[in-house]
Amino acid sequence: MRKWFVALALVAAAVPAASAAQLRTVTLSRQLEDEDEVRVSVEYGAGRFTVRPMDTGLLYRMNLEYDEDRYEPVADYSAHRLHVGVESIRGGIRGRDAEGGRLDLELARGVPMDLDLEFGAVRANVDLGGLALTRLELSTGASESIIDVSEPSPASMELARFEVGAAEFTARHLGNLNAERIEVDAGVGSLTLWLDGEWRRDARVGIDMGLGALELRVPEGLGLQLRKDSFLTSLDSEGLVKRGDTYQSLNWANATRKVTVDLDAAFGSVKVVWVRE
Amino acid sequence: MSASRLANVVLALGLSACIAPFSIRAQVREVVSKEVSVGRSEASLALEFRGGDRLEIGFEDGSVLVDGESVGTYVTGDALDATWRALLGQAVALDDGPLAAALADWSVPSELTGDAATAARAIDQALESALRSTNVQAQVGDGSVSLGDPGSLLRLLLREPERLRLLGDALSGIDDDVRVYVAEDAVVAADETVEGDLIVIDGDARIEGDIEGDVVVVGGELELLEGSSVGGSVRLADARLVRNLGVVDGELVDVEDGVQLDVDEDVRLELREEIRAELREELRSEGPAFLSPFRSLAGSVADIMGHLVAVLVLGLVGAAVIAFAGDRVEVIADTARRAPGRSAAVGMAGAILLIPAWVIGFVALLVSIVGIPVAIVWLPAFPIAACVAALVGYLAVARNAGEWLADSDLPWTQWIRKSNSLITMVGGLLGLSVLFMVSHVVSILPFLGFLNRLLVVAGVVLTVVAIQIGFGAVILTRGGRKRDYARYTSDEAWEAAMNVDVGGVDDAPPAPGATVPDKGGGHA
Repeated sequence: MRKWFVALALVAAAVPAASAAQLRTVTLSRQLEDEDEVRVSVEYGAGRFTVRPMDTGLLYRMNLEYDEDRYEPVADYSAHRLHVGVESIRGGIRGRDAEGGRLDLELARGVPMDLDLEFGAVRANVDLGGLALTRLELSTGASESIIDVSEPSPASMELARFEVGAAEFTARHLGNLNAERIEVDAGVGSLTLWLDGEWRRDARVGIDMGLGALELRVPEGLGLQLRKDSFLTSLDSEGLVKRGDTYQSLNWANATRKVTVDLDAAFGSVKVVWVRE
Repeated sequence: MSASRLANVVLALGLSACIAPFSIRAQVREVVSKEVSVGRSEASLALEFRGGDRLEIGFEDGSVLVDGESVGTYVTGDALDATWRALLGQAVALDDGPLAAALADWSVPSELTGDAATAARAIDQALESALRSTNVQAQVGDGSVSLGDPGSLLRLLLREPERLRLLGDALSGIDDDVRVYVAEDAVVAADETVEGDLIVIDGDARIEGDIEGDVVVVGGELELLEGSSVGGSVRLADARLVRNLGVVDGELVDVEDGVQLDVDEDVRLELREEIRAELREELRSEGPAFLSPFRSLAGSVADIMGHLVAVLVLGLVGAAVIAFAGDRVEVIADTARRAPGRSAAVGMAGAILLIPAWVIGFVALLVSIVGIPVAIVWLPAFPIAACVAALVGYLAVARNAGEWLADSDLPWTQWIRKSNSLITMVGGLLGLSVLFMVSHVVSILPFLGFLNRLLVVAGVVLTVVAIQIGFGAVILTRGGRKRDYARYTSDEAWEAAMNVDVGGVDDAPPAPGATVPDKGGGHA
């Protein structure tokens, strides 16, 4: 449901701003202490949003540009919980008239981290490579998002969850998450999931898609099994063999690592593209 | 250790600081977190140090603030503002050690003069005292001496010899185990215990933890925060106790005046003054006590007037509704009268289902994609429509109530004329709010609080029931378009037209000379 509200925020954001935004710049950082595990939650309504790892002895560093008449920055850290982002001063729909806003966040590499990213109408470029993620929850509204896990995570996680509203969403190197289960809940839009990266165990990927196009980019060495429960959804199953209710890659029986994709789609198209490693 | 010995040590340290400045190593403190904020009219820096203490320096709306206290002024874009923003520009790129060093090394630019230079010096001093941690460990028992600035002690001794005398007086009887701070503030955290004495010279002391010995403050301010304790005595020499929320086992002595302060008496005086101030404020807001009965009367009259104004406003709304949709109001009112139970049930069900219907409608429109623009209109339009329906329904019920009052023999109802829908409606509105008005009258009288509350509850119940019936009638009639529940049987139509009871027509003719009460027209 949340994605629909975020989609609504996008519509509201399309209303031209009554006056030019007065941007304020804030830089925040915190030293890395002896954290066992940190819970990080990031909230950002609209603008440009980037996340990347760093090795500077800091827990985080955040550069933020925002409309000071409408928003205020948030940076709370207590009891190993970090909450950063912006909040609306007067309430209302977050993200409206946030043209020109920007949030650049750097997070400490190697610190066990429970990460919750929530952003609305943004252009997001998120690199989670090298972060020791123990849990990941990413929720995006009407955005153009690229999520990359450029390096393998030194930690393992049970579940990585992506909730996508009306968006153009690309996730790369999902194998590097080292997740047992990945869930993608998509509303409307275009979804590209790269199942490359370093899979250190067999995994399951659940995709629940409303209306849109899904492209699964699968490295040739990976064993893929696709179970589809769909309505009015086309499937371009190149390189897959249908066995009963499932589609399996030719190397399924012998593959070192196997990924099972459970697809629940309403309207749209699904395409499987094999890529060389 | 005697006072003279300690003074000698302190003096020796000060002299050694001047003669051999390199023997004292200035260290910068660890900066745990930083926040640099730069906007159109504000530019601020907030630092948090290991141990939890913070420093905040901000240029906000023309004021230069250090930890919330104004130390000067600036104009956006002037030399001071530009200097500060340049420093923040450096701070953005640095963290921890390099950041602390850069800030601590900052000095007042020579181009700044006058008030700008004064404010800049205050910033410099704040940064220095917050960031520098120059610890000189003297072998004086288990104690230590901390110098905020290596040259500060000598300056202190040369400039203010009077302080020496006060220091000597204050230190009499101090034990060996002593912690001395010179020209810097001392902070004793909540979980910290100083086993000996604490001496602060030319600085402030902020104590949240425990001091087992004495506390001596020379030329500064002392804050004893809640939960703090001092096992010995507190001695102030040219110093001030700005807050005393802790426990002092010993005496509180002002060395300069040679007087012992009575803490309890001080607190009592403060409390007494606060109570007096509150009483004064209360009396000022309420006025003299002998006016209280008149205030009650005035309040009740005001409440009654408020209700009358509300009735007037509703009457005006009713006039508009009758003018533009009189026929529909007739249908709604007839339905409410003919089927009040069904209307109330439908109204209650409608009220319960309002929010689900609102949400489901919104979601359904969203899902349909093409309905998204309609969904945006739906969000405000649906609740507004529901409120309008409830209001029109209430007005229709008020009209019925007005007719009932017109037919009744109740006093003060003769002015209600059924021939005039508006007057009938206003009469009904007054009738529906009469319980509230009576409650306001009752509230003037003493000892009738229970009756007053009872009347208010009854009034609320009556209003809610009227709204439920009216709202249900609006739903049943689809906004006054369907007459399914507003139709009369032929007898009822005849009765309504003639405004007589025809129930006994078949049984017995009306008595000769019987008159028909007539206050106006009936139902067509």
